[in-house]
Amino acid sequence: MEFLPAGGETGRDRSNGRAGKDSQAGKGGHAGQDGQAGKGGHAGQDGQAGQAGQAGQAGRASPTGESAGSVTAQFEPAEVGLLRMAARQLIELLEAAESHALGTSVDPALRRLLPDAYTDDPEAAAEFRRFTAGDLLERKVRNARVVIATLGEELADEIADDAPETLNDDDFDEPATTITLDRDDVQSWLRTLTDLRLTLAERLEISPDGVVHLAEDEAPFLHGIYEWLGMVQESLVYAIDV
Amino acid sequence: MPKTDERVDLREAVVLDRPWITIVWDDPVNLMSYVSYVFRSYFGVSAEEAERLMLQVHNNGRAVVATGNREAMERHVEAMHGYGLWATLAKDET
Repeated sequence: MEFLPAGGETGRDRSNGRAGKDSQAGKGGHAGQDGQAGKGGHAGQDGQAGQAGQAGQAGRASPTGESAGSVTAQFEPAEVGLLRMAARQLIELLEAAESHALGTSVDPALRRLLPDAYTDDPEAAAEFRRFTAGDLLERKVRNARVVIATLGEELADEIADDAPETLNDDDFDEPATTITLDRDDVQSWLRTLTDLRLTLAERLEISPDGVVHLAEDEAPFLHGIYEWLGMVQESLVYAIDV
Repeated sequence: MPKTDERVDLREAVVLDRPWITIVWDDPVNLMSYVSYVFRSYFGVSAEEAERLMLQVHNNGRAVVATGNREAMERHVEAMHGYGLWATLAKDET
């Protein structure tokens, strides 16, 4: 999986994008900490999702001659299924939040998605939340829906709840899907990928130094997804880099 | 009522002297490339300035990315939350 400008080469040397990507996988493309990237930045290091990432690594550009700002990438069926499942779960989380008093949400993921705007003034923070949280949640849901829509028709044998099992070698025999995103789609994707990673980071109990503290069996799988989403986002940022 | 007028003037002067700031905080999740991109595309700063601010966030744990009146800073903070960046606003204490 690698996003490239849909209209062929831009003025920018594509090798720049690649160099940046390599440096992420190699040592530390994360705004957070080297520990994190060093541990799992490699596609392929964490079984399932990593493998998914690597499988698409050679993704081909398919210039469509579309308007500037469009990007395209090839996704394996398992990658599409994974992203669709993740986006759906995000929507569930966001929609459940709408009916709650957000200021007092006990879910750390929601608190991170809608952080306090004032650090030392709870009253002002609550006021800010009252005026902005509804809109922000709505936009986040809309963005996630755009991601799902751009992934195309759901295949009959693609069972969302079953994603861990769909990530095996057999799936890579299936033809890859070409995803093309216009300028607006890209914005939705960037934001949703961020929201997904923020949510996963809370589930993984990633501390400010980037270390994963979740000790449960699912941790390696979730971390693989987390890293893969980061790779998709990095690729997208480089593809639209101006 | 000259006294009241003076008081109002004084308050305005204080507000003007101490504008509000938008702060973006470091987190272990957001990619450096993405943070830099957000600064560039939202605040319209140059690539160099965006990179400088991003590194400041990364190395110092936070960076002041905008200064101005409270309403404008609240808009910036809301926008940053839309991008998934951790942002707050405060009175400029410097």
